[in-house]
Amino acid sequence: MTLITKNTAIKILILSSLSIFLTACKDKQIPLELKMVEKQEVNLWKSGAKIYVPSEYNQYITSINKTKESLIKEKSRFAWFQDYENVQSELKNVLATGCSLENIISDKKKIKNERIFEEISFAKNRIETIKDLTEMINEGRLARKDLIKAEILLSEAVSRYNNHDYDTAEQKLNNLSEYIKSSENAILPILNRYADRSHIRKWQEMVDETIAESKAKGIPAIIVNKSERTLKVYKSGVPVWTYNVGIGRNGSLDKMHAGDNSTPEGKYKIIQKKPESRYHKALLLNYPNEEDRKNFIIAKKKGLIPAKARIGGLIEIHGGGKNSMTYGCIAMDNNKIDHIFNIVPVGTLVTIVGAVDYNNKLSSAIEGL
Amino acid sequence: MKSIVKYLALLTVTIFLFAGCAKEPTEEINAAKTAVTSAVSGDAEKYVPEDTKNVNSAMQAAEDELKVQKDKLFKDYAKAKELLAKAKADAEALQANLATKMEEAKNNATAAQDAAKASIEEAKGLLENAPKGKGSMADIEALKADLKGAEDSLAEVQTAIDSKDYSGAAEKANAIKEKATGIADQVKAAMEKVGKKK
Repeated sequence: MTLITKNTAIKILILSSLSIFLTACKDKQIPLELKMVEKQEVNLWKSGAKIYVPSEYNQYITSINKTKESLIKEKSRFAWFQDYENVQSELKNVLATGCSLENIISDKKKIKNERIFEEISFAKNRIETIKDLTEMINEGRLARKDLIKAEILLSEAVSRYNNHDYDTAEQKLNNLSEYIKSSENAILPILNRYADRSHIRKWQEMVDETIAESKAKGIPAIIVNKSERTLKVYKSGVPVWTYNVGIGRNGSLDKMHAGDNSTPEGKYKIIQKKPESRYHKALLLNYPNEEDRKNFIIAKKKGLIPAKARIGGLIEIHGGGKNSMTYGCIAMDNNKIDHIFNIVPVGTLVTIVGAVDYNNKLSSAIEGL
Repeated sequence: MKSIVKYLALLTVTIFLFAGCAKEPTEEINAAKTAVTSAVSGDAEKYVPEDTKNVNSAMQAAEDELKVQKDKLFKDYAKAKELLAKAKADAEALQANLATKMEEAKNNATAAQDAAKASIEEAKGLLENAPKGKGSMADIEALKADLKGAEDSLAEVQTAIDSKDYSGAAEKANAIKEKATGIADQVKAAMEKVGKKK
């Protein structure tokens, strides 16, 4: 009896040890914060933490990994000895760090959003300004090609901006600024003349002399202002009619040689009236005058124009429409040339200048760049 | 005494059964790792970033579980196997999804490129037939320069396609198309104006 009791007691002891042992295999519940951290990490990743707070995000990930290591260590323990208190506290710290990162990212995104928006508006305005200028000076060939590339990049930047991809939008904006610069470089040499005070002073003197001669001799005179695209008819020094005109394809530049499509600047005279012209009616000017010939020789010597270039001629004020783009002539509407044709005789002074005001259309436009 | 020895032996065998019989699922680990490695790529991160992250997380969870069991006295790899199977399945799904998405994106980019080319050709044709009077010469020259710029940019679309940047390619192609259509519209308007004048 004593033996049975002893055996039974041992059996019970071993079985209960085994059952306690097996019970002990059941892990304790891991902290709920783990799921929250995992969710937070995904949200941070989605919000672009790698871009906005790269080093902070890396530290945050390192903290998560360290905490997970601690978790793994605890999970590996015999269930009796598992204690997640420290892990839980670490997870809470990670959550707090993640929260502050979320706020930083949100602030940075807001700032970047505003900055990119401003950059887009700035680029848009610059493109529009240059586009207007190219139209003003008929310089569509060199500047516009790059300008359209800038416009294409701007469209892409806007699209990325709308998709909150500020980084790519910024990259596109950086790329487009090169094209804008190149467009500007194509038109600035033309425009700078209109902001050059010594040039304008020279033009003013020419105009003043012409008006004075018209007044002194009681004769008509014509002043063509290239920046304003106007032709003014003076009678005895008094302006009586103003018309809009078109000028050469490269009309904003001074004519240097045949075929450059520029409109000459200087003091000329009408040397022939052509009642029947290809462009309705025409008034032929004495281009090249003496100064033009001198300038032509100097430019050739300096290599500023092709060695085989000729000086050219046949510069007229003719009809065909004020919106025309000529080979260097001054074009006006047919009914307007009809009028002028009747009132100005051969020998009438015609002075062609770039501008007469320091604040002319083109110099003001440069300020907009 | 014999009984005590018998029960102790049983206990020892049971303990060893729990502790020693569970072996690391090497085959499953290798299969999951291979699947994940071949699925996760630069393209995957670009085209299916969330799926890629999920696959990486699934693999990480499986590896964490393996670590837990490796250090345990009584190993149980059932959960690890489950997690490895999930990582493998996710990786395979990712690979299939990536191929579809990339094909879709490539088709979109190519279609956008074709549409941009067609718009440029249309604008070119219109410009060729545009009224060439002195009055329209400036406009035509400016529009031709615009079109040349747009046409030049088409090369960048192909570069983007070649480098598998399909969304970038489609975006650029759409922008080019928009500009070319704008140019064509301007030519049409000018032609209508001239037509009315006549």
